[in-house]
Amino acid sequence: MSDAKYRPNEAVDFIVVGAGAAGGVVAKELSAAGFSVVVLEQGPWHQTKDFMHDEVAVMYRSAFTNDFKKQPNTFRKTAAEPAKIQPAVEYGRMVGGGSVHYTSNYWRFHPEDFRERSAFGAVPGADLRDWPITYDDLEPYYTKAEWDLGISGLGGSNPFDGPRSKPYPLPPMPVKSSGVLFERAAKKLGLHPFPAPMAVISQPYRGRAACSHCGFCEAFGCEMNAKSSTLAALVPLAVKTGRCEIRPNSYVRKIEVGKNGRVQGAIYFDGQGREIFQRAKAVVVSANGAETPRLLLMSKSKQFPHGLANSNGNVGKYLMFDNGAMAMGYFEHPLNEYKSIVVTRVLHDYYRSDPKRGFYGGGGLDARFDYYPAGFALAGMPADMPQWGGEWKRAVGQYYTHVGGVLAHASSLSVERNNISLDDTVKDAWGLPAMRVTFKNHPDDLKAVDFLIEKQKEILETAGAKKVWVDLSTTGDVTYSRHLMGTCRMGDDPRTSVVDQWNRAHDVRNLFLVDGSSLVTCARQQPTATIQALAYRAADYIGQAARRGEI
Amino acid sequence: MQLIFTRRDWMLAAACWAEALRAQTTAKFAWFDPATAAEIKAIAAQIIPDDDTPGADRAGVIWFIDGALAGYDRDKREIYTRGLAEAQAKRTQLFPGSMSIAGLSGAQQIQLLKAIEQTEFFQEVRRHTILGFFGHPKYGGNRDQAGWKLIGVQYSARYEPPFGYYDAEANGRNSK
Repeated sequence: MSDAKYRPNEAVDFIVVGAGAAGGVVAKELSAAGFSVVVLEQGPWHQTKDFMHDEVAVMYRSAFTNDFKKQPNTFRKTAAEPAKIQPAVEYGRMVGGGSVHYTSNYWRFHPEDFRERSAFGAVPGADLRDWPITYDDLEPYYTKAEWDLGISGLGGSNPFDGPRSKPYPLPPMPVKSSGVLFERAAKKLGLHPFPAPMAVISQPYRGRAACSHCGFCEAFGCEMNAKSSTLAALVPLAVKTGRCEIRPNSYVRKIEVGKNGRVQGAIYFDGQGREIFQRAKAVVVSANGAETPRLLLMSKSKQFPHGLANSNGNVGKYLMFDNGAMAMGYFEHPLNEYKSIVVTRVLHDYYRSDPKRGFYGGGGLDARFDYYPAGFALAGMPADMPQWGGEWKRAVGQYYTHVGGVLAHASSLSVERNNISLDDTVKDAWGLPAMRVTFKNHPDDLKAVDFLIEKQKEILETAGAKKVWVDLSTTGDVTYSRHLMGTCRMGDDPRTSVVDQWNRAHDVRNLFLVDGSSLVTCARQQPTATIQALAYRAADYIGQAARRGEI
Repeated sequence: MQLIFTRRDWMLAAACWAEALRAQTTAKFAWFDPATAAEIKAIAAQIIPDDDTPGADRAGVIWFIDGALAGYDRDKREIYTRGLAEAQAKRTQLFPGSMSIAGLSGAQQIQLLKAIEQTEFFQEVRRHTILGFFGHPKYGGNRDQAGWKLIGVQYSARYEPPFGYYDAEANGRNSK
């Protein structure tokens, strides 16, 4: 833990709300650039020794994620139905945030992802828009993120990727059996599989040890520091500047605005439940695509009666969720997918929208098996087999090491009625209004998944699987997501977007929203690389603007 | 494979040892009364039966369930209390004169559970039984790593490639 450096009534240069994938980048960049920074993180600050191999605690007791028992959310598909308490949003709740527990797929968006509206045209029932920036604007920051954090991959191996200014800093991770089978089948089908770019270091890098293939990767924290989270790679650098104070267990409830309409600081509950007002010259909110709009909506004031930075009513709207489906195959020989990282091969042949298909969207496919023992026994077996009893027990025993799968990461359209708002009645354990999630997939999202499922099954069958099935819990309308995107969209027009192309709120000059909330489109999921590239770009701009006195 | 005995392995070994010791002594349940425990134990034993390998009973799953209901999942107690009462009513209906679920024959137990398998109660007992059997042994329900052994997981804190048959084959490392 970093020692207390700043007193609450002393205005620091920046408060960063949230120490996750984006906040970790911003905190490190701004403190390294010479600014005083206080990071307010609602979750704890874990050490590597806390990253235990305990599926029950991590997957079923929210050890590293928001605990729905303390922070319930309500859910409804449309505003016409009553919202009920039902977990809909999950995120890493700790210093490092989602970058600590994610699968670590590190895909860049493609150049055309930033220009889909121009290329594909309008989609009825959705608000598909071009980004105010291009791939070329972001490319240097993708590269910066890859080198700063430590990404393993093979540059140029994905023929659908945009141009790169530098290779990956580390070679790809060793291929797993799922990757071998996927690659063989994909090549037989004339597709273009490539080694997965992963935020896990395949070799020692900048003082961190290489991955030991322990297998507790997705949803877990890395006890080796081999996963390139902001906790492992950036937070130590931020602390080392001597200008960054990280305050864990600090849950922000309001961003305060002065009479001049400028942000003055943040009010938060500390670990003992005391309310503290930290003053700052500017605030960067990196609380994630669901908590950032919630915090803005909770930050009502005379100047902003509908919530901070929400003069146009767009805060919280256009929520995009994780979309996709899992297909599984049973193979003759053991794959032992419980070892090592989750994904070693990917393909993007079905990524681009094709008007001939009759719907918008597509997806990337990866070879994986991301079930831990209990999770597999609970829900991983084919639905046409028994789900308990002696026969089931024997089948689970036989299947676990012999199953590999293909996961589709599919498009999720930006739709105005899908949003984050405040629940009218339900409160969290701190007495704050619970998050209310309203989400229903655009029909094209579901068509894209149906299209991809056929491709996934084709790959598994071509790979020689003895039995192929679809995990039915992953199909149909999405009601639960770990990817939280699009709720404070970036754009040039202050009437239709919340932040400008530098992640600065249109309404408030000294407020920046830097996380998944600013994404205009979600491409084909796996947003972390783009969220972090945007964070590097925003931090670069914020630092320069601050030095020019323009904040 | 390189064998490295890490601190984590020691912790796991210590947890297993502590659990074995606990099972030998006349341990008390934290939440269950003995009669309820016997009924839930009988249900869990049909979900994951003891056959040629240990099932829920021999792996000590009831201890996991007890710990869950006494702690993190205390909000599920109502499902157990109400659900078990409903299951008993169903039992009396199906098998008049029977006294308990534990006292039914195996075939009768299966018949009863099939009749209630869509209920929230059965689904919760199934969930807890599976979490206990395949979860970390420190919770008491995966004694001697019975669950992991069943599915062929040789637990280690680290592994080296090749991991499976096909990646070994691709790297020319399978002896045929």
